[in-house]
Amino acid sequence: MTPGNLKNLIKDWRVATLIVLLVLSVVAIYPHFDNKGNFTTNLQYGLDLQNGAFIQLKLNAEVIGYTTNQPVNEFVANLSKSLDAEVIQVDANHLEIRKSFTQAELDPIFSSSGGKIVSYQQGVSKTTADLAKQILDNKLNTGGTQDVKVIIQSGIGNVAQYIRVEMAGVDMNQAQELVGKQGKFEIRIVTTNNQTDHIVFGDSISSVGNEEKDLQSGSYNVPFTLSESGAKALQDAVIKYGATTDPTNHNLVMILDNVTVFSGPLASNLASELRTTPVRAMQASTGIGDSGLQQAKDLAIHLRAGALPVGVQIVGSETINPEQGAKNKAVSLIAGILALITVGFVIYYRYREPGIVLPMVLINASEMIILLGFMAAIRFQMDLPTIAGLIAVLGTGIDQLVVITDEILHEGKVPSPNIYLKRLARALMIIVTAAATVVIAMVPLMLMPLTTLQGFALITILGVLVGVIVTRPAYGRIIMQVLSK
Amino acid sequence: MGLFNYNIEKYSPKQLVIIPLVLLALSLILLSVNMLTTGFPLTPGLEFSGGYSYSINTTQSDDQIRAAFTGYPLVNVKPASNGKLLEFGPLDETKRASLDSFINQSYPQHQPLSFNEPTFGKSNQSLAVLALIFSFIGMSIVVFVSFRTFIPSVAVVLSAFADIVMTAAAMSILGIQLSLGTTAALLMLIGYSVDSDILLTTRVLKRQGKLNDKLTGAFHTGIIMTSTTLAAATAMFIVSWYFHVDILWEISAVLLIGLVADILNTWLTNAGILKWYVLNGGGK
Repeated sequence: MTPGNLKNLIKDWRVATLIVLLVLSVVAIYPHFDNKGNFTTNLQYGLDLQNGAFIQLKLNAEVIGYTTNQPVNEFVANLSKSLDAEVIQVDANHLEIRKSFTQAELDPIFSSSGGKIVSYQQGVSKTTADLAKQILDNKLNTGGTQDVKVIIQSGIGNVAQYIRVEMAGVDMNQAQELVGKQGKFEIRIVTTNNQTDHIVFGDSISSVGNEEKDLQSGSYNVPFTLSESGAKALQDAVIKYGATTDPTNHNLVMILDNVTVFSGPLASNLASELRTTPVRAMQASTGIGDSGLQQAKDLAIHLRAGALPVGVQIVGSETINPEQGAKNKAVSLIAGILALITVGFVIYYRYREPGIVLPMVLINASEMIILLGFMAAIRFQMDLPTIAGLIAVLGTGIDQLVVITDEILHEGKVPSPNIYLKRLARALMIIVTAAATVVIAMVPLMLMPLTTLQGFALITILGVLVGVIVTRPAYGRIIMQVLSK
Repeated sequence: MGLFNYNIEKYSPKQLVIIPLVLLALSLILLSVNMLTTGFPLTPGLEFSGGYSYSINTTQSDDQIRAAFTGYPLVNVKPASNGKLLEFGPLDETKRASLDSFINQSYPQHQPLSFNEPTFGKSNQSLAVLALIFSFIGMSIVVFVSFRTFIPSVAVVLSAFADIVMTAAAMSILGIQLSLGTTAALLMLIGYSVDSDILLTTRVLKRQGKLNDKLTGAFHTGIIMTSTTLAAATAMFIVSWYFHVDILWEISAVLLIGLVADILNTWLTNAGILKWYVLNGGGK
């Protein structure tokens, strides 16, 4: 190959795309030495390649598609009463029932309230799942543990039945304890000179509403209800320290796990009401604008002290200990490299022509690099099934390079450019059909909340697409140059 | 590839398809027997059946361990790096507590590894089966749409079906369980095993030339395709077997079995039906 040929080759858009993607991938993977001098990359590893534990939580709730001839608000209130469960309206046609019921149990109750069940799915709506995730994130990342990942596993219609919590560096018993643990929440009152005194603990808070906006003042607040004894304790405290007459010097302070999460004075109307009667319905105001809204959201979570909006049940958990994780990682690397070498030998055995074998193996390796680069870029967590998928892509990717080479070399003659392109097109037809079957075969997995296999399906599909769109056309161009020399 | 020659012209379509059809029938019988006796064609792994697993440090033999745990539903003893991996079926609260204290006493060096609720496992198992069925249907649709002729498409789909059924039968004989990992492997097989069938069908139906030449040419290319994937899977199999990485071992074992079944079904079943189809005037 002359330098001029090489230049032409690089100018070809197929080859150029491949090179650009390769460079971007290496940047995304970012192999480097960290400040301790250890070699490291941007690649993210799943739990089975590190160490830690995961917990699979089942959310005890249902999303029900329904119709009713009653006014919706009344219908929902009735249902909630007869089921003795929280019922939330998801959208015009769907309700979320925050307690476990079978469809058979629900059917008669719906019909007696003047409604009908259209669809029944166990799980929660996306909004509730997001809230649960936020609560878990908050609780577990403040608990001193690092690297907690909370993954919502949703199925059809965005209904999530399971949440997977992955924690690095703990075993499954510790992880279960952390997830099950409630935060310690306390309300105190400022007495004098920044001293505070205890009023109630979190168990006196009987319910917490979602954040809302006060239309008059424009400020956000979180409504919550105190138990009767809690309301009495609060009344006693504010009277004792004079907060009813001088609210600004006697803030109410809310503390979660020894961290102050809210501090504010009694509102003047509340202060005057408390002089005579205990008040159960309270609200904490967090101010106006986006920051007020965010603070309100955070406070609502803190008030719940890590309690989730729906009941959960631990349905699975697993420990991966450090030795196993490290071994899995090393074995994956060795298997990958060995696979590349064996595949190279098979190809060499067949063609005996370095000019063909070398581009094939290089293209195959670059396919791997682009896939790894993509995973690094989207911070995808590589786990063992994904690695098996990658190695399979390695084996099948080269298949298709064989199809191209054989199609072009048909009857052993080196073709003219015209015939060449015709044959390349024919080879690409075979490849596209084969690729379509792999993509279609993986689509069902993408749509199912089957723990970690969703990621595996995504990477397999991606591997096929990178092959069909980028690396195989580039190979077709490169091999043409090689054969026509 | 010069290792063995494939004289497809020597054999009639009937002779070609007879061996795989017998194997397919035997596999189906085996899976049906499993289905009738256990309610499921394969042995479900812990993730699907539900249960508990522990790793213990011990030098005891498998039999000694089985004897020690006679009172508990011990379903599997697997080798692990410093001892054994024990798998137990579902247990109620009290039995679980008694197992925990028994292990604490008898094997102080141990670690609880996993727990799966049977209902959760069951729901995952049905999802896995659904995924396999939908994936197979999707693959069939792609095949029918791209060839638009009935018999050749049926031949491809039948070969893929035989691949999966034979692989499942082999898994059952070798004691490889259906787990999340092996489900992934079976799905890969559905997607990848039709590669060589598509090559074969395209070459035979869409190219000019003598039938036998086209079959031989397709075989020449097709067998190398399967060999490369076999090579990658073999590398993965050896490394993961040697180092006890169970998930990779299971996945690669299933891929290996499936690829061997694929060679059989592509070059006997599919080639046989295709030859019969062309000899009887199809394809022109």
